Amino acid sequence: MTEPTATPSAPRDPQSAATRRTNPVLAHPITSLAIGVLVAAAILCTLIVPIYAHVTPKIGDFPFFYFYLLIYMPATALALWIAMRLQRRLQPRQPADTGTAGTAGDPVPGGVR
Amino acid sequence: MSNVNTVVFTIVVVLFVLVTFIGFAAARWRRAEDMLHLNEWGLGGRGFGTFIAWFLLGGDLYTAYTFIAVPALVFASGSIGFYAVSYTIMVFPIAFIFLPRLWSVCRVHNYVTPADFIRGRYGSRGLSLAAAFTGILSLMPYIALQLVGIQAVLTVMGVAASSNNTYVKDTPLFVAFVVLAVYTYVSGLRAPAAISFVKDTLIYVFVIAAVFYIPTRLGGWSHIFGAAQTHMAAINPATKEPNGTFIPTTKSVGSTQFDFATLALGSAVALFLYPHTITGALATKRRNVVKRNMALLPAYSVLLACIALFGYMAIADKTTAAAVKKAGNTQLAVPYLLQHMFPSWFTGIAFAGIIIGALVPAAIMAIAAANLFTRNIFKEFFKPDASPRLETRVSQWASLVVKFGALAFAVWLPHTFAINLQLLGGVWILQIFPMLVFGLFTRWFHRWALVAGWAAGMIYGTIAAYNVHTATSSHWASSSDIVFGHTVYIGFTAVVLNLIVSVVLTLILKAVRAPAGTDETLPHQYTADPEQAPVPAPAGVGVASD
Repeated sequence: MTEPTATPSAPRDPQSAATRRTNPVLAHPITSLAIGVLVAAAILCTLIVPIYAHVTPKIGDFPFFYFYLLIYMPATALALWIAMRLQRRLQPRQPADTGTAGTAGDPVPGGVR
Repeated sequence: MSNVNTVVFTIVVVLFVLVTFIGFAAARWRRAEDMLHLNEWGLGGRGFGTFIAWFLLGGDLYTAYTFIAVPALVFASGSIGFYAVSYTIMVFPIAFIFLPRLWSVCRVHNYVTPADFIRGRYGSRGLSLAAAFTGILSLMPYIALQLVGIQAVLTVMGVAASSNNTYVKDTPLFVAFVVLAVYTYVSGLRAPAAISFVKDTLIYVFVIAAVFYIPTRLGGWSHIFGAAQTHMAAINPATKEPNGTFIPTTKSVGSTQFDFATLALGSAVALFLYPHTITGALATKRRNVVKRNMALLPAYSVLLACIALFGYMAIADKTTAAAVKKAGNTQLAVPYLLQHMFPSWFTGIAFAGIIIGALVPAAIMAIAAANLFTRNIFKEFFKPDASPRLETRVSQWASLVVKFGALAFAVWLPHTFAINLQLLGGVWILQIFPMLVFGLFTRWFHRWALVAGWAAGMIYGTIAAYNVHTATSSHWASSSDIVFGHTVYIGFTAVVLNLIVSVVLTLILKAVRAPAGTDETLPHQYTADPEQAPVPAPAGVGVASD
């Protein structure tokens, strides 16, 4: 999810050597899978409506449909928070300059058109 | 103004004056050396951290119209209105996938609008124009609807109903909007960012109070749900069909599970394609701020779920239901409910919350539309050497034009017109999905194929939405229609068509080796996290790279 997709038509320049650094997904397959599952589950468990389109069982006074939608939000928040923490593990310990390297080595200075 | 409650009116006015003051003072907040740069005026300096971004995005995504229209839909049709709850859950994991990439590439290349990115990615002015045009077109009715939201509140307050003369009737609306337009002009994105603190606080207070207090007045949740279920199952004399559904059905036509799911998915994807939400996201300081907010913003969705339930409360409260029926406008359900349930001082706070809740997104939308016009139409086609100062000036004026356009829309055209157009706005903005979101991951698609797909989706979506009819209305009856025997969201069908056209034409264009255009982005820039905001380059530098 975080790795750059290989882009056939991307400009070929000296920088691309740096981008072909170890692929973080290949380096951490289990963590990557966990992130994928968390994000996919967060989407699918509300997209697949038959899971929760029922009146019963009632939880308290709430029909199941309405209860599920209410409870689902904190669950999504939690799933995404975990996914975000896991993504940090994917990032190799990089020297502090990598962030700005993009700007510094940018072939289009400033990028303003 | 005979039946205006003084307490309510005073509280609303006092809070409005407070946010006006904040709006003007915001120009001095985190003051930059040179305000006359689009990164400053249009993106608040691109330096907002997690905390401010949470308020800004929350204030931006959950508009006053949502607070009025979602419960109105629940009041009128039942469970289908809860698609809004489902979609505001789904939107965050979806945005989590692509938004950080958009942030990074826009940061590295100093892109201000989504159309800037499309221009850089595909080297196509036409495609970027299509994106900018779609963005502006979808934002105009959206801004107008914020005014419709304000009008609903003013009507119930008794302020707007006192005269048949349009000008007298809409004076308060006019005043509110002129004030908004002026401080947006002066302070740019800083104004809505600062005001969103007030908005969100007021909304949180009134919604939480309402969710705990109103059920005690109405005999508890079991009574509310019971009344709603009975009402939805009852037969409507006009249509000879049930009033609505209490749970999405398993049938193939009507308020079905499939319709619910496609509406939710389509709207979720559309939400982060709207230029104003992208503007909010690009105003953040670091890549992680965007991600963190995807995990923190669902807190607002809880609020929205509670607000949707107000629709059922309005059914359970006989006085409110009768008042809404008498007025013949379901959009008044929430204002009437609040007015009937709460003491006047608290009604004042709630109404002020909704009105201020309309001002924040309206300001951000006007800024986003103005930026699109400046960057992707004015600069691209009329004045390629425009300096950052000129860009900012043009954007400031464009924001005024957009706002007054929306005001004219809300005052002179029938409200149903604005509502129908906003329904279409969602369908339209979805058509930039292939070029924007797929563009963040791959350059496989051909620019001309994307233009053709976009056009196909726009035309199909517009015609399909126009043709939807029911027993009570001949056109624009719903945002869903029947395709292959199933009720499905029109935006969903249109974007599928868009994708099919894009894929087929890309294959053909690649086979005939049509020129693909230059891509000025690099793969690693989609994950970059530059600490420094992009340096404002002198005008004209980038033109050479075209």
